[in-house]
Amino acid sequence: MTDLALLLSFTVLAMVVIAGVLAARRARLWRVGRAAKVDWAAGLLALPKRYLVDVHHVVGRDAYAARMHALAAGGLLAGSGLALLGLIPALGDARLYWWLTALAFAAAFAGGGMVGRRRYPTKPARLSGGRFQLLPFLLAAYTGGGFLVALDASLGGALWPLGWAGLAVAALGGLGLALQIDRGPMRHAFAGAAHLVAHPRPGRFKGERATALAPLDLDAPRLGVALPEEFAFNRLIGFDACIQCGRCEVACPAFAAGQPLNPKRLIQDLAASLQPGGTNAAYAGSPYPNARPVAGIGGPGLPIVGEGAMIHPDTLWSCTTCRACVEECPMMIEHVDAILDLRRFQTLELGAMPARAAAPLMELRYADEPGGRPLTSRTDFAAGLTLPLISAKGEAEILLWLGEGAYELRYGRTLRALVTLLHKAKVDFAVLGAEERDCGDLARRLGDEAGFQRLAAENIATLSRYRFSRILTADPHALHALRNEYRAFGGTYEVVHHTAFLDELAAAGRLSIGALDQARITYHDPCYLGRYNGEVDAPRRLLDRLGIARLEMERSGKRSMCCGGGGGAPVSDIEGERRIPDIRMSQAAATGAGIVAVACPQCSSMLEGVTGARPAVHDIAELVLMAVEKADAAPARPVEVPA
Amino acid sequence: MRIAVLLSAGRHSVSGRPAPVPVELQALRLAVDLANQCGGQSGCDVTGLHAGPELGPLADTLGHGLGHLVHLRTEGAADPAPALAAALEAGGYDLILAGRAGQGGEDAGLLPYTLARGLAWPILADAAGLAPGEAPGTLSVEQALGRGARRRLVVRLPALVTVHPAAPPPLPFAFAGLRRGRVEMREAPPAPAVAPEVEERAYRPRPKLIAKAAAGASALERLRAATEAASGGGRLLVDPAPDEAAREILAHLRALGLPTR
Repeated sequence: MTDLALLLSFTVLAMVVIAGVLAARRARLWRVGRAAKVDWAAGLLALPKRYLVDVHHVVGRDAYAARMHALAAGGLLAGSGLALLGLIPALGDARLYWWLTALAFAAAFAGGGMVGRRRYPTKPARLSGGRFQLLPFLLAAYTGGGFLVALDASLGGALWPLGWAGLAVAALGGLGLALQIDRGPMRHAFAGAAHLVAHPRPGRFKGERATALAPLDLDAPRLGVALPEEFAFNRLIGFDACIQCGRCEVACPAFAAGQPLNPKRLIQDLAASLQPGGTNAAYAGSPYPNARPVAGIGGPGLPIVGEGAMIHPDTLWSCTTCRACVEECPMMIEHVDAILDLRRFQTLELGAMPARAAAPLMELRYADEPGGRPLTSRTDFAAGLTLPLISAKGEAEILLWLGEGAYELRYGRTLRALVTLLHKAKVDFAVLGAEERDCGDLARRLGDEAGFQRLAAENIATLSRYRFSRILTADPHALHALRNEYRAFGGTYEVVHHTAFLDELAAAGRLSIGALDQARITYHDPCYLGRYNGEVDAPRRLLDRLGIARLEMERSGKRSMCCGGGGGAPVSDIEGERRIPDIRMSQAAATGAGIVAVACPQCSSMLEGVTGARPAVHDIAELVLMAVEKADAAPARPVEVPA
Repeated sequence: MRIAVLLSAGRHSVSGRPAPVPVELQALRLAVDLANQCGGQSGCDVTGLHAGPELGPLADTLGHGLGHLVHLRTEGAADPAPALAAALEAGGYDLILAGRAGQGGEDAGLLPYTLARGLAWPILADAAGLAPGEAPGTLSVEQALGRGARRRLVVRLPALVTVHPAAPPPLPFAFAGLRRGRVEMREAPPAPAVAPEVEERAYRPRPKLIAKAAAGASALERLRAATEAASGGGRLLVDPAPDEAAREILAHLRALGLPTR
């Protein structure tokens, strides 16, 4: 073993010690968070799989980034590990061992080069600058220097002048990297690993969608989150895991619309609030679009939200809860949960929801309906159709949950189409009629957990009086609430979306479907069906049965873009530069399709609200009815739903 | 300044379920804003008062910014006025706010007047905004008139003021406020049930208040006739001398053909 190699090993040892001290100091800050139930043993055991499979699955969507990260991180860890183990005489004396070490450093150097290539000469807007721009140089110095020292050692000291130069550079770069561990880009390395172990939604690594919001204990002394220490500790770890890659900001519909929300900045502001005396000054990525001025100071014991704090309330209320940021995040950070925790405090403790959101919540409280409309008129859309009431029948195979869309004239046409199809397929179904209350989705997303829990309890009590085998709904928000969120309150139901149900009927031959002439159709995935519930295949299968050419938009499936209608965003109505549905509609128009197929009342009304020349908007149920009426040899009456 | 807000057992206008009355929540907001303006002086508070058999969802008013709610429990059909009058007299309030009318089905909006008469306090109707008056012990009231007109009045406290729906919207409901707030239950002394003061009269045809355009007139003429009738006519006198005002009123009544001496 050469002296140089020994010195390199000591350099790595010094790096490890420095990084360890800094990381421990940061990790101590996490302890201010609330307790949370974490299965440490299972998490630790699952870490390699979570990292190599689940994280890689997301990172790998950008092949360049995946290769870059594999080389840089893999090479860095392997090279440093080998150099450190070189202190063991049996290993350090073998020339082949140093040759291997040199190889690892060379790989890391190549990765560092890729990091640099990505950031220079021009840095993509989604990547952060500041300390991050220094990263390729530190990586190159450390790994390049390490390579020279290891190469020299593998040749028995033949290249000693190069080796000395290498050692000096490696020490400089290595210490620079180690000092980045608590605040700089390297923080994601240890915080990310800890986040994967203690992830607040471990189900996400087991193939579950795991998207239901956690219920809030309404008897807790304080509701929601106002201070950094009111987040659970594993949520705080999650904020520190962010590497500021900016994939979330690219996916965020509110960011695209120029509303003051940038998920990346939000997470950075939350991470900065954990630091005593923290400010948002170090952040060097894209700002909140049209940012409202805030003081930008925080720390444990200081509020997070407010004009004198880190995050402006408008930022919170811009979110449509579409989960696109969560879906794109390679570190599996839960942005939407954080926003909801903050919203809960604003709504439940302060009553500080946006002015226009107060009225629907009040109507929900006294009329069980956000528009204050009579529950008896929910079935008005079906005038002239037979709509069996379950209170009259007592039991039915399918309970049809109508949802809020039933009050709306446009969506009423969709529900008429669905009811007509159910009659044609001779399905034994019934509706709750005036006994159906709002499912509580709006209240919950606006932070009114008390309102949601009351509605959930009352709906569960109503449902328990009747016998049915499945709930059918055309509203993915109701579907998500009934299927996933009522479970925590004792309501377990098999809930099926109308697209999946119609697909089932068609597959069983209970609907005879003709071919539609409208050749070009694109399908817009509702967030609460696709991303929240993973149902992206059934609607497409059903559309393919209609004899049409199905075109895919630039963003589709689980990575689809929101219509802007979720999370109470239409009632919060935070000002931006553009409207989210306009952006989505331009993506639909870009496919050249003549029809946008939708499967959600919110999407339907948001996209129908787009002005100007654009593709027509039709719910899949309407398209299926058109096809079924085509198949009927001699239609008894004119086609009900216009093409 | 001690403020009392009268809260009645309302019903939601569509669902018919028990609910606070929106205009009373607006009154509550005016009270809370006014109390906040007195800058943390002691003796500056807002109390909600309800007289009735049960509180029901009126407890929700605690979520709309009220800190202290007094429930005067009365028997089923008992007249709430005596209980309220006694509590108001004993409470030492400077200002009493009430809604223009309740929303319980048969609310006539007369209770504030009954109370004002009983307390011998001035009453001012239809406030859309309140501010402390310039002189101590006064209140500046922005009164809502028809067609969005506003009139600023100054009253000497104590006074009873009813609130108009044109006032700012209620403070949003905060669930934690409901948990924090204090409800105080007091038994009200038994009172007689509200005497139904109903008088029966024979039907008589009433003159139409809308002026009619001549038969066969054009749509524009009919519209003009209808809108001009609603606009009242007359002359606007700003701050007239009392004598002059009285003369104008008499002249107007004579012009309408009403007998005046």
